[in-house]
Amino acid sequence: MTSSQRLRALIVDDEDLARRLVREYLQGHDDIEIVGECDNGLDAVKQIGALSPDLVFLDIQMPRLTGLEVLELTGRRAGVIFTTAYDEHAIKAFELHAVDYLLKPFSKARFDDALARARTLHAPAAPAAGAGLDALVARRTAPLERILIRDREQVHVVAIDQVECIEAQGDYLAIHAEGKCHLKPQRISEIEEQLDATRFLRVHRSFIISLAHLQAIERPGPDRHAARLRSGKRVPISRSGYEKLRTLV
Amino acid sequence: MHPILADPRRLLWYELAWLAAGVGIAALLRLSGQAEWSGALEFALPICLVWSFVAVSSYYVCRSLPWSQRRWPVALGLFGGVSMLAALGWLGLGEAWDSLGGLLLRGRPFVALSSAGWMMYFAAGFALYLLSLLAHDVLVAFESVQAAARREAESRVLARDAELQMLRTQINPHFLFNSLNSISALTGFDPAAAREMTVDLAQFFRRTLALAERERITLGEEVALCGHFLAIEKRRFGAKLQADLRVSAEAAACLLPPMTLQPLLENAIKHGIRQVDGGGTIAVDALVRDGALHIAVVNPVSADDAPANAHGVGLKNIRERLAVLYGPRAHIAWQRSPAQFTIEIHLPVDKESGA
Repeated sequence: MTSSQRLRALIVDDEDLARRLVREYLQGHDDIEIVGECDNGLDAVKQIGALSPDLVFLDIQMPRLTGLEVLELTGRRAGVIFTTAYDEHAIKAFELHAVDYLLKPFSKARFDDALARARTLHAPAAPAAGAGLDALVARRTAPLERILIRDREQVHVVAIDQVECIEAQGDYLAIHAEGKCHLKPQRISEIEEQLDATRFLRVHRSFIISLAHLQAIERPGPDRHAARLRSGKRVPISRSGYEKLRTLV
Repeated sequence: MHPILADPRRLLWYELAWLAAGVGIAALLRLSGQAEWSGALEFALPICLVWSFVAVSSYYVCRSLPWSQRRWPVALGLFGGVSMLAALGWLGLGEAWDSLGGLLLRGRPFVALSSAGWMMYFAAGFALYLLSLLAHDVLVAFESVQAAARREAESRVLARDAELQMLRTQINPHFLFNSLNSISALTGFDPAAAREMTVDLAQFFRRTLALAERERITLGEEVALCGHFLAIEKRRFGAKLQADLRVSAEAAACLLPPMTLQPLLENAIKHGIRQVDGGGTIAVDALVRDGALHIAVVNPVSADDAPANAHGVGLKNIRERLAVLYGPRAHIAWQRSPAQFTIEIHLPVDKESGA
């Protein structure tokens, strides 16, 4: 077997013993090379970017970032095997999107199965994988609690309460929070779906505002409305946005 | 708020009752030949209306002597004295209204009572206030019975919640499955450690099941349970997790509800130690001071972690549980500094008889 066919694997889990077990299970598989281990989500984001491994063993419940957030930030959509002890929501989502996962504690046979599947998906002739993961990351079950923004090597975590408004700027979203503005490559309709509809409202084609940060609705001209936010920022409101706002406020 | 003044319907009935009393007084005056019907009514009705608002004060008199703390001689003395004072006020009001009101509206008094007539009027005022006191007393008793029933229902619900919460803690699936995974990993390279961890896990669940059936356990028993819990968690998190338990002998003998300390340690690991890169030490101090059992748990937290609202739910459950069991005698408080989380519990000292 040539080195180019070897799969390069990254093990991500905050428990040393759990990583050790994966390592042990991988011992019999000569075609897999362990290129790194991470004990938290933030480190995993960096390592996935730096090493671009073929295969990632990814724990869900980790400090700093969850496994799903790691995927969201890295844009990785294939070659992932989730490991989790217990997470009803995640498991439901995995089932729904036919994503492979290992329930701790798992047997060697179950592990080998998952590995075999990962190998076939990685083969050059394999059908495009990743649709399931894509949907998994995009369509989360619970509303967004924080927004993650990757800025080169850094990851910013913005709590959802701090977000005052979100503005579409081309292919990017400008997320305004606490006097700062973060850019994130995402469509406004996508984030709109993920946000809690009782706390955020799309008031305009290019604007979502936080109702908690809304201070007043102004009327700069006939048939024109604008939202004034607590920070003093003004956001235009479209006609349909105004109708929605009136039923809510 | 006064139960009659706060409710318009009650107020209406109350005023109607007073008007009836006014008519009664007028009838009394008329029948005893002290006054004519029209004068007696014009005299008595306004006074009763005004007096009805003075008489609501009897509610507060009744409240000042709750049934449970009432000694009858005191109650009789107070009720009699207050009614006497009220009757004097009532007499003054009557005389003033009769002369001034009558003079202004009619040019002469409504009723010009003889001293016997005023005596009768005075006695009626005394009787009316006493009656109002008794009526309010019944009302207060009725209210307190209702409130007690409501409180009991509430605490039953809270107690059931606490029980459910405890059951959930007993079989925290996350803890169980992760521990089993650790054991599975250990079997490969350190079978002795795997065996130890299995025993710790078994001991932890066995003790939890045994202790949870009891209403009160000693802090010493709870600490022993926590020892098994920490031994398991130390295997999982390695050098990241250190624990320093300082429990005085006196504190160890104190009784408290089972699973009071263990959830605090679980929180400290989940929201504290796990989130901090290098880990840290959970410090537990328990001692008896000034007749109270003090338990403090301090753990490091990650400074850039979101504020501890994740802590919130678990801690609120503990607070509710202690409130149900101890009422105002238990205190629980927590605070977060940038790098540290502290939680303190104060409970009344309660020891096993003979201990």
